[in-house]
Amino acid sequence: MSEGLDYKFLVDTFFVALSGVPIALAITIVALLVALPFGFILALTRINRIPVLHQFAQIYVSFVRGTPIIVQIFIVYSSIPLLLDSIFTKYNLEMNVYDVNPIWYAFIVFSFNTTAILIEVFRSAISTVSKGQLEAAQSVGLTNVQAFRRIIIPQTLVVALPNICTATVNLIKATSLGYALSLQEITLRAKVAANVGYNYVEAYIDIFLVYLILCSLVEYAFKRYEKRLIKYKAVNA
Amino acid sequence: MHEKEAGVIKMLEIKNIHKSFGQNKILKGVDLKIDKGDVVVILGPSGSGKTTLLRCINFLEKADQGLAVFDGIDINLKTASKRQIHSIRKKTAFVFQNYNLFNNKTALENVTEGLIIGRKMPKMEANALGKKALDKVGLSEKYHAYPSELSGGQQQRVGIARALVINPDIILFDEPTSALDPELVGEVLTVMKNIAKEGTTMLVVTHEMSFAKDVANRVIFMDEGVVVEEGSPKDIFVHPKEERTRKFLKRVLPEDFTYYI
Ligand SMILES: Nc1ncnc2c1ncn2[C@@H]1O[C@H](COP(=O)(O)OP(=O)(O)OP(=O)(O)O)[C@@H](O)[C@H]1O
Ligand SMILES: [Mg+2]
Repeated sequence: MSEGLDYKFLVDTFFVALSGVPIALAITIVALLVALPFGFILALTRINRIPVLHQFAQIYVSFVRGTPIIVQIFIVYSSIPLLLDSIFTKYNLEMNVYDVNPIWYAFIVFSFNTTAILIEVFRSAISTVSKGQLEAAQSVGLTNVQAFRRIIIPQTLVVALPNICTATVNLIKATSLGYALSLQEITLRAKVAANVGYNYVEAYIDIFLVYLILCSLVEYAFKRYEKRLIKYKAVNA
Repeated sequence: MHEKEAGVIKMLEIKNIHKSFGQNKILKGVDLKIDKGDVVVILGPSGSGKTTLLRCINFLEKADQGLAVFDGIDINLKTASKRQIHSIRKKTAFVFQNYNLFNNKTALENVTEGLIIGRKMPKMEANALGKKALDKVGLSEKYHAYPSELSGGQQQRVGIARALVINPDIILFDEPTSALDPELVGEVLTVMKNIAKEGTTMLVVTHEMSFAKDVANRVIFMDEGVVVEEGSPKDIFVHPKEERTRKFLKRVLPEDFTYYI
């Protein structure tokens, strides 16, 4: 430590941390693929006050928002193996729950979490698309499904895009909690490398940089896309 | 065909339509007959149920009771099946007060959406028809403009092209010019006059008395959910029979409004 920063370690470990990016991205993408459709559908049930589903969505959102992700991870990580174990024993399956790749737990927790966030994002976005858009689509002979796919959903996405961007960046950052699942993602890899020679400062700088670069790139991509969609913005009639 | 000539089968007939919102009875048994090529204008004070009537015909609102007879086929306005609703919507078009163009589509895409998606027409064919419709409303320069890049008058003309292109049996207009700045009203009325001349069947709710006078072949005066009086423009503007019609016209007609034959 008194020697100042170990630059060679700094550079080497940067690439170690970087090698965790695919896992962070895999979790992010899976969570978004699950959360986008489910978030949208549950947002619709809230807007149209569909009985049961609407209350379910509401409780779900407050449950996820009211608890830290790390606690959600602990709950899933401790309860699901017990559940699986009892199922395996009951059906005499020759499987060991502790062989399950921890990434599956990460997929579950982050999908669950992001869905709740996107329900709220879509709920406000859908309400900005006027009822007249659906009526116009119906009046030219589109079915409701066609109207949603071609008119309502694209316009909702435009409005929701800045918030989806925020949710995605938050999600990427939150994948660092995967170390609690012993997941070989960015944070854990760099920390493990640091354990050898106690180069924690260098490792943390690397982690910091990798997340910063990753999130900036994602944000930039969203901004580019937003610019392209700006023409779709509703007219204030 | 013979029957039609004899005046028995109308293109569209609406019988005894009723509609309430909660305790409010908005339509209290309205009847309507429209022949091919008719331009029918509905006049009436605010809140008399004009918009609701048009919306019920196109199933944007579900009537509590009533019958639509389309080319001799009865369709119950309350209990119509999804398929019947869809088939009526394919034969009718709606021009909205606030245009309701699809914000995520260009002018041309707005016009072709109902053809390509609603009617499964090949894209090439739909684009050709769409361009022709936009040319007709004077927007040949604006095929690829988004609604946010168009003026109100231009947007409404796209709205009219979107209705025209599906070649509907009838176009329903709900106050197509009342959201426009005064200087943009003229361009939309001109387009409507032109398509009326070409024989398009139109049912128009409007406060533009000059349009009713010059273009309509029938004028209907509605008040409080019923048809009070109907007749030729001359009947309504020059010889109104009902006191309510006279009062309404006195209130809305401009000082210099005169009826020429
Ligand atoms: N969705 C609705 N829910 C409740 N009341 C409604 C609804 N739509 C219309 N109304 C009421 O029905 C009445 C008739 O409305 P409608 O829009 O048909 O009148 P209108 O003749 O078109 O009037 P205007 O000339 O102002 O457009 C109004 O009192 C209105 O408040
Ligand atoms: Mg109205």
